[in-house]
Amino acid sequence: MKNEFITDERIFQELKKAIAETLRVDEDVIRRDSSLVNDLDAESLDFLDINYRLEQVFGIKMARHFVLEHVEEMFGEGSAVNEDGLLTEKAVELLKIRFGDQMPRLEAGMDMDEVPALITIGSLVEGIRDILDALPEKCTHCGAAQWTCEDGLRVKCASCGEYAVYPNGDDLIQEWLKKIQEERSIF
Amino acid sequence: MMRIFQGMDLVSVAGFERVWERHEGFTEDIFSPLERAHCMSRKNPAIHFAGRFAAKEAAIKALGLRAGASGFLSGFGDIEVRGQGGGKPVLHFRGWAARMAARRGIVQKTVSITHSGNYAAATVILLAEPGPRQGREPKRQ
Ligand SMILES: [Zn+2]
Repeated sequence: MKNEFITDERIFQELKKAIAETLRVDEDVIRRDSSLVNDLDAESLDFLDINYRLEQVFGIKMARHFVLEHVEEMFGEGSAVNEDGLLTEKAVELLKIRFGDQMPRLEAGMDMDEVPALITIGSLVEGIRDILDALPEKCTHCGAAQWTCEDGLRVKCASCGEYAVYPNGDDLIQEWLKKIQEERSIF
Repeated sequence: MMRIFQGMDLVSVAGFERVWERHEGFTEDIFSPLERAHCMSRKNPAIHFAGRFAAKEAAIKALGLRAGASGFLSGFGDIEVRGQGGGKPVLHFRGWAARMAARRGIVQKTVSITHSGNYAAATVILLAEPGPRQGREPKRQ
């Protein structure tokens, strides 16, 4: 269900905080269209650190695997990336649906290696949003359908007091892929 | 013509330790039971973990798997550094990394790891048979 407790602005604020602490930069230099790799010089260890911090802040599990990894798992070898490591047209069609205007420079034949530089803070906000919006209708501990949230970050069950348990990012990507494939038959 | 893919990575041991201290489950996410057992048996595990982290990142770069943000652990769990003690380390791929390596026609791979002071570094070289390899189905895992 749509998570009304946590705003996009709050996600952006927390993302800025995590990035600023990890990279030791001023929060003011971080914009929604900034690229972690190109604009903020994040290294892979930083990337991991930022993701782990966000998991802790929101009590979620971010996707461990790249969306194209899931695509090939579900729709077959070579469906997303060709023999030279280049994105297929179908992969680009899919990424455009997923990231939309967050990735205007995305095109078929692009090296898979170039994708990280295209990922912006805005697309990370949307990734977290997707997980938060998968808030289950009912508490997985006691079955009550009464959520509450005091700090704008962690949703709690008003009945038993346990934190909400969200589906993990990888499962959500797979569900999304199934839905998109049913609607548009890309692969 | 054979093709060569190279990757290199440098890791701050202190930086690695900071992430490790802060996030429970970090080494379990990144390293195989074999790798953890090896590193934990050493006098200073962080140095050895950092070296293996550098090796994985170097392999990810060589394979062109730096998919980053969406799927933040992509590749790490699929790349294992084997061979301990005085022996030369050996790379082992599975999952997505193995599939991409097969698709690129990788026939040989080498890894070299070093550490000094506060840093660990690694290089990976992958050798691929001539391409394009049209009409040939890459092996499934
Ligand atoms: Zn409850």
